[in-house]
Amino acid sequence: MNIIKFFLSLFITIAMLLLMDPRSFYGLAFHEWAGLIIGIFFILHKILNWKWIKKVTVGFFRNCPGRARFNYVLDVLLLAGITLMIISGIAIARTIDFSWLNLGGSRAFWRVMHTSSSFLTLALFGIHLGLHWNWVLQRLHIKKVKNGKEN
Amino acid sequence: MVKKISFLILSIAILVFGIIAFSKLSYWDRSVRIFKYSSNTPFESRMDRGLEGRESFVRPEMRELSDSMRAGFETREGRPGPGMRERNIPDSLRQQFRTRNGEQMGRGRFEGGIRNGEGRGRGEFPEGRKISIRNMKWFLAVFAFFTVIAIYIDKAICLIRKRYRTSD
Repeated sequence: MNIIKFFLSLFITIAMLLLMDPRSFYGLAFHEWAGLIIGIFFILHKILNWKWIKKVTVGFFRNCPGRARFNYVLDVLLLAGITLMIISGIAIARTIDFSWLNLGGSRAFWRVMHTSSSFLTLALFGIHLGLHWNWVLQRLHIKKVKNGKEN
Repeated sequence: MVKKISFLILSIAILVFGIIAFSKLSYWDRSVRIFKYSSNTPFESRMDRGLEGRESFVRPEMRELSDSMRAGFETREGRPGPGMRERNIPDSLRQQFRTRNGEQMGRGRFEGGIRNGEGRGRGEFPEGRKISIRNMKWFLAVFAFFTVIAIYIDKAICLIRKRYRTSD
Protein backbone atom coordinates (compact mmCIF):
# COMPACT_ATOMS: atom_id res chain seq x y z
CA MET A 1 0.00 0.00 0.00
CA ASN A 2 2.82 2.37 0.89
CA ILE A 3 4.43 1.84 -2.50
CA ILE A 4 1.17 2.83 -4.24
CA LYS A 5 0.94 5.89 -2.00
CA PHE A 6 4.53 6.80 -2.78
CA PHE A 7 4.19 6.55 -6.55
CA LEU A 8 0.85 8.31 -6.50
CA SER A 9 2.39 11.18 -4.52
CA LEU A 10 5.35 11.30 -6.88
CA PHE A 11 3.04 11.39 -9.87
CA ILE A 12 0.93 14.19 -8.37
CA THR A 13 4.07 16.22 -7.59
CA ILE A 14 5.48 15.90 -11.12
CA ALA A 15 2.09 16.61 -12.70
CA MET A 16 1.60 19.64 -10.47
CA LEU A 17 4.98 21.05 -11.49
CA LEU A 18 4.25 20.46 -15.17
CA LEU A 19 0.88 22.13 -14.80
CA MET A 20 2.32 25.28 -13.25
CA ASP A 21 3.10 26.69 -16.65
CA PRO A 22 0.31 26.33 -19.22
CA ARG A 23 2.90 26.64 -21.98
CA SER A 24 4.86 23.69 -20.71
CA PHE A 25 4.59 20.19 -22.08
CA TYR A 26 1.79 19.69 -24.59
CA GLY A 27 0.21 23.14 -24.35
CA LEU A 28 -3.14 24.32 -23.16
CA ALA A 29 -5.16 21.20 -23.99
CA PHE A 30 -2.82 19.08 -21.89
CA HIS A 31 -2.90 21.71 -19.13
CA GLU A 32 -6.69 21.63 -18.93
CA TRP A 33 -7.21 17.88 -19.16
CA ALA A 34 -4.35 17.04 -16.80
CA GLY A 35 -5.62 19.71 -14.40
CA LEU A 36 -8.95 17.92 -14.20
CA ILE A 37 -7.36 14.48 -13.89
CA ILE A 38 -4.99 15.59 -11.12
CA GLY A 39 -8.11 16.36 -9.08
CA ILE A 40 -9.14 12.70 -9.35
CA PHE A 41 -5.66 11.57 -8.25
CA PHE A 42 -5.81 13.97 -5.34
CA ILE A 43 -9.10 12.41 -4.22
CA LEU A 44 -7.47 8.98 -4.60
CA HIS A 45 -4.61 10.17 -2.39
CA LYS A 46 -7.14 11.17 0.25
CA ILE A 47 -8.97 7.84 -0.02
CA LEU A 48 -5.70 5.96 0.52
CA ASN A 49 -5.11 8.00 3.69
CA TRP A 50 -8.72 7.84 4.81
CA LYS A 51 -7.87 6.05 8.09
CA TRP A 52 -5.62 8.89 9.20
CA ILE A 53 -8.17 11.53 8.14
CA LYS A 54 -10.92 9.79 10.09
CA LYS A 55 -8.74 9.36 13.16
CA VAL A 56 -7.60 12.99 13.28
CA THR A 57 -11.06 14.36 12.46
CA VAL A 58 -12.58 12.48 15.39
CA GLY A 59 -9.86 13.44 17.83
CA PHE A 60 -8.96 16.88 16.51
CA PHE A 61 -10.13 18.76 19.62
CA ARG A 62 -9.31 15.98 22.06
CA ASN A 63 -6.27 13.72 22.17
CA CYS A 64 -4.60 14.66 18.93
CA PRO A 65 -0.86 15.48 18.78
CA GLY A 66 0.06 18.99 17.67
CA ARG A 67 1.94 17.75 14.62
CA ALA A 68 -1.04 15.75 13.36
CA ARG A 69 -3.28 18.75 13.98
CA PHE A 70 -0.98 21.00 11.98
CA ASN A 71 -0.81 18.46 9.15
CA TYR A 72 -4.59 18.25 9.16
CA VAL A 73 -4.99 22.04 8.86
CA LEU A 74 -2.42 22.06 6.06
CA ASP A 75 -4.30 19.29 4.26
CA VAL A 76 -7.56 21.20 4.55
CA LEU A 77 -5.85 24.27 3.05
CA LEU A 78 -4.43 22.09 0.27
CA LEU A 79 -7.89 20.72 -0.44
CA ALA A 80 -9.30 24.25 -0.58
CA GLY A 81 -6.45 25.34 -2.86
CA ILE A 82 -6.90 22.46 -5.26
CA THR A 83 -10.67 22.95 -5.33
CA LEU A 84 -10.25 26.66 -6.14
CA MET A 85 -7.63 25.83 -8.74
CA ILE A 86 -9.92 23.37 -10.51
CA ILE A 87 -13.02 25.58 -10.32
CA SER A 88 -11.16 28.64 -11.62
CA GLY A 89 -9.54 26.47 -14.28
CA ILE A 90 -12.98 25.31 -15.39
CA ALA A 91 -14.16 28.94 -15.52
CA ILE A 92 -11.33 30.00 -17.83
CA ALA A 93 -11.01 26.79 -19.85
CA ARG A 94 -10.56 27.25 -23.58
CA THR A 95 -10.14 23.81 -25.08
CA ILE A 96 -12.89 22.16 -23.02
CA ASP A 97 -16.35 23.69 -23.11
CA PHE A 98 -17.66 24.32 -19.63
CA SER A 99 -19.95 27.21 -20.55
CA TRP A 100 -22.95 25.10 -19.53
CA LEU A 101 -21.80 25.31 -15.90
CA ASN A 102 -22.46 29.09 -15.80
CA LEU A 103 -19.98 29.80 -13.03
CA GLY A 104 -20.46 33.57 -13.28
CA GLY A 105 -17.87 36.18 -12.34
CA SER A 106 -15.58 37.94 -14.74
CA ARG A 107 -12.93 36.13 -16.67
CA ALA A 108 -10.30 38.46 -15.18
CA PHE A 109 -11.34 37.47 -11.65
CA TRP A 110 -11.12 33.75 -12.41
CA ARG A 111 -7.73 34.18 -14.06
CA VAL A 112 -6.32 35.96 -11.02
CA MET A 113 -7.94 33.34 -8.79
CA HIS A 114 -6.39 30.53 -10.84
CA THR A 115 -2.89 32.02 -10.68
CA SER A 116 -3.03 32.88 -6.99
CA SER A 117 -4.55 29.59 -5.88
CA SER A 118 -2.07 27.55 -7.92
CA PHE A 119 0.92 29.50 -6.58
CA LEU A 120 -0.26 29.22 -2.99
CA THR A 121 -1.09 25.54 -3.43
CA LEU A 122 2.38 24.82 -4.81
CA ALA A 123 3.89 26.39 -1.70
CA LEU A 124 1.58 24.29 0.48
CA PHE A 125 2.58 21.20 -1.51
CA GLY A 126 6.23 21.95 -0.74
CA ILE A 127 5.52 22.33 2.97
CA HIS A 128 3.42 19.14 2.92
CA LEU A 129 6.31 17.22 1.37
CA GLY A 130 8.75 18.72 3.87
CA LEU A 131 6.64 17.55 6.79
CA HIS A 132 6.44 14.04 5.31
CA TRP A 133 10.10 13.92 4.35
CA ASN A 134 10.90 11.16 6.83
CA TRP A 135 8.13 9.04 5.32
CA VAL A 136 9.65 9.60 1.86
CA LEU A 137 13.11 8.60 3.12
CA GLN A 138 11.61 5.48 4.68
CA ARG A 139 10.00 4.54 1.36
CA LEU A 140 13.32 5.03 -0.40
CA HIS A 141 15.00 2.86 2.26
CA ILE A 142 17.31 5.73 3.19
CA LYS A 143 15.90 5.89 6.70
CA LYS A 144 14.87 2.91 8.80
CA VAL A 145 11.44 2.63 10.37
CA LYS A 146 11.79 2.93 14.16
CA ASN A 147 9.87 0.31 16.19
CA GLY A 148 7.38 -0.21 13.39
CA LYS A 149 6.35 3.44 13.74
CA GLU A 150 6.05 5.40 10.51
CA ASN A 151 6.07 9.13 10.04
CA MET B 1 29.86 14.32 9.06
CA VAL B 2 30.69 14.60 5.34
CA LYS B 3 27.16 13.49 4.55
CA LYS B 4 25.71 16.16 6.82
CA ILE B 5 27.87 18.92 5.34
CA SER B 6 27.04 17.90 1.78
CA PHE B 7 23.32 17.93 2.65
CA LEU B 8 23.73 21.37 4.18
CA ILE B 9 25.47 22.70 1.06
CA LEU B 10 22.76 21.19 -1.13
CA SER B 11 20.07 22.78 1.06
CA ILE B 12 21.75 26.19 0.84
CA ALA B 13 21.97 25.84 -2.95
CA ILE B 14 18.27 24.96 -3.11
CA LEU B 15 17.41 27.96 -0.93
CA VAL B 16 19.46 30.35 -3.09
CA PHE B 17 17.99 28.96 -6.30
CA GLY B 18 14.54 29.17 -4.70
CA ILE B 19 15.00 32.83 -3.82
CA ILE B 20 16.12 33.61 -7.40
CA ALA B 21 13.08 31.72 -8.74
CA PHE B 22 10.88 33.60 -6.28
CA SER B 23 11.87 36.95 -7.73
CA LYS B 24 11.97 35.67 -11.29
CA LEU B 25 8.38 34.44 -11.14
CA SER B 26 7.26 37.38 -8.93
CA TYR B 27 5.89 34.60 -6.82
CA TRP B 28 4.70 36.66 -3.88
CA ASP B 29 2.90 39.26 -6.00
CA ARG B 30 1.12 36.63 -8.04
CA SER B 31 0.21 34.61 -4.96
CA VAL B 32 -1.48 37.46 -3.12
CA ARG B 33 -2.96 39.13 -6.20
CA ILE B 34 -6.36 37.62 -5.46
CA PHE B 35 -6.50 39.42 -2.10
CA LYS B 36 -5.78 42.74 -3.79
CA TYR B 37 -8.21 42.12 -6.61
CA SER B 38 -11.05 44.54 -7.09
CA SER B 39 -13.51 44.39 -9.96
CA ASN B 40 -12.79 48.05 -10.84
CA THR B 41 -9.10 47.40 -11.47
CA PRO B 42 -8.46 46.88 -15.15
CA PHE B 43 -6.98 43.49 -15.78
CA GLU B 44 -3.91 43.66 -17.94
CA SER B 45 -3.36 40.26 -19.34
CA ARG B 46 -2.37 39.82 -22.96
CA MET B 47 -5.66 38.24 -23.76
CA ASP B 48 -7.95 40.77 -22.14
CA ARG B 49 -5.98 43.74 -23.45
CA GLY B 50 -6.71 42.43 -26.88
CA LEU B 51 -10.41 41.87 -26.39
CA GLU B 52 -11.80 44.10 -23.68
CA GLY B 53 -9.44 47.02 -23.96
CA ARG B 54 -10.20 47.49 -27.63
CA GLU B 55 -13.36 49.51 -27.18
CA SER B 56 -11.75 52.33 -25.26
CA PHE B 57 -8.64 52.41 -27.42
CA VAL B 58 -8.04 55.56 -29.47
CA ARG B 59 -5.25 55.55 -32.01
CA PRO B 60 -2.56 58.17 -31.32
CA GLU B 61 -3.19 59.87 -34.67
CA MET B 62 -6.86 60.25 -33.82
CA ARG B 63 -6.07 61.86 -30.49
CA GLU B 64 -4.40 64.73 -32.29
CA LEU B 65 -7.43 65.54 -34.40
CA SER B 66 -10.17 67.94 -33.37
CA ASP B 67 -13.36 66.42 -31.94
CA SER B 68 -15.44 67.19 -35.00
CA MET B 69 -12.94 65.63 -37.36
CA ARG B 70 -12.57 62.58 -35.16
CA ALA B 71 -16.33 62.18 -35.01
CA GLY B 72 -16.29 62.04 -38.77
CA PHE B 73 -13.89 59.13 -38.71
CA GLU B 74 -15.68 57.22 -36.06
CA THR B 75 -18.37 54.98 -37.30
CA ARG B 76 -20.16 52.22 -35.45
CA GLU B 77 -19.41 51.52 -31.79
CA GLY B 78 -17.08 54.46 -31.55
CA ARG B 79 -14.37 52.74 -33.52
CA PRO B 80 -12.36 54.27 -36.33
CA GLY B 81 -13.70 53.60 -39.78
CA PRO B 82 -12.33 51.08 -42.22
CA GLY B 83 -9.84 53.27 -44.04
CA MET B 84 -8.71 56.73 -45.03
CA ARG B 85 -9.14 56.40 -48.76
CA GLU B 86 -12.88 56.90 -48.86
CA ARG B 87 -12.84 59.85 -46.44
CA ASN B 88 -13.07 63.45 -47.40
CA ILE B 89 -9.97 64.80 -45.68
CA PRO B 90 -7.27 67.20 -46.78
CA ASP B 91 -4.38 65.70 -48.74
CA SER B 92 -1.81 66.93 -46.23
CA LEU B 93 -3.51 65.08 -43.42
CA ARG B 94 -3.89 61.97 -45.55
CA GLN B 95 -0.16 62.14 -46.31
CA GLN B 96 0.62 62.51 -42.60
CA PHE B 97 -1.36 59.36 -41.77
CA ARG B 98 0.26 57.44 -44.58
CA THR B 99 3.83 58.24 -43.52
CA ARG B 100 3.17 57.56 -39.84
CA ASN B 101 1.48 54.28 -40.28
CA GLY B 102 3.70 53.03 -43.06
CA GLU B 103 2.66 49.61 -44.11
CA GLN B 104 -0.16 49.57 -41.56
CA MET B 105 -2.30 51.53 -44.00
CA GLY B 106 -2.37 48.70 -46.41
CA ARG B 107 -2.47 45.94 -43.86
CA GLY B 108 -5.25 43.46 -44.18
CA ARG B 109 -7.18 41.55 -41.56
CA PHE B 110 -5.49 40.65 -38.28
CA GLU B 111 -3.88 37.31 -38.93
CA GLY B 112 -3.44 36.13 -35.39
CA GLY B 113 -7.02 35.05 -35.01
CA ILE B 114 -9.07 35.13 -31.85
CA ARG B 115 -8.79 32.81 -28.91
CA ASN B 116 -11.77 30.60 -29.52
CA GLY B 117 -11.15 30.48 -33.20
CA GLU B 118 -8.61 28.44 -35.05
CA GLY B 119 -5.82 30.81 -34.03
CA ARG B 120 -3.04 29.95 -31.65
CA GLY B 121 -4.10 30.61 -28.06
CA ARG B 122 -2.05 31.11 -24.94
CA GLY B 123 -0.03 28.07 -24.15
CA GLU B 124 -0.25 26.52 -27.56
CA PHE B 125 2.70 26.08 -29.81
CA PRO B 126 3.25 26.38 -33.50
CA GLU B 127 3.17 23.02 -35.17
CA GLY B 128 6.28 20.95 -34.68
CA ARG B 129 7.28 22.43 -31.33
CA LYS B 130 5.44 20.50 -28.69
CA ILE B 131 7.40 20.18 -25.49
CA SER B 132 8.73 23.09 -23.52
CA ILE B 133 9.57 22.88 -19.85
CA ARG B 134 11.64 26.03 -19.62
CA ASN B 135 9.65 27.54 -16.74
CA MET B 136 9.33 24.29 -14.88
CA LYS B 137 12.77 24.59 -13.33
CA TRP B 138 11.75 27.82 -11.59
CA PHE B 139 8.62 26.26 -10.17
CA LEU B 140 10.64 23.24 -9.11
CA ALA B 141 13.07 25.60 -7.37
CA VAL B 142 10.25 27.30 -5.45
CA PHE B 143 8.73 23.94 -4.56
CA ALA B 144 12.09 22.63 -3.31
CA PHE B 145 12.61 25.89 -1.41
CA PHE B 146 9.42 25.39 0.60
CA THR B 147 10.22 21.71 1.12
CA VAL B 148 13.70 22.46 2.50
CA ILE B 149 12.35 25.19 4.78
CA ALA B 150 9.66 22.83 6.10
CA ILE B 151 12.21 20.04 6.69
CA TYR B 152 14.53 22.27 8.71
CA ILE B 153 11.75 23.98 10.68
CA ASP B 154 10.33 20.53 11.49
CA LYS B 155 13.76 19.32 12.59
CA ALA B 156 14.30 22.42 14.71
CA ILE B 157 10.92 22.00 16.43
CA CYS B 158 11.65 18.32 17.12
CA LEU B 159 15.04 19.23 18.59
CA ILE B 160 13.56 21.94 20.83
CA ARG B 161 10.89 19.52 22.07
CA LYS B 162 13.48 16.87 22.81
CA ARG B 163 15.53 19.32 24.85
CA TYR B 164 12.45 20.39 26.78
CA ARG B 165 11.66 16.77 27.57
CA THR B 166 15.20 15.95 28.72
CA SER B 167 15.36 19.07 30.89
CA ASP B 168 12.03 18.11 32.55
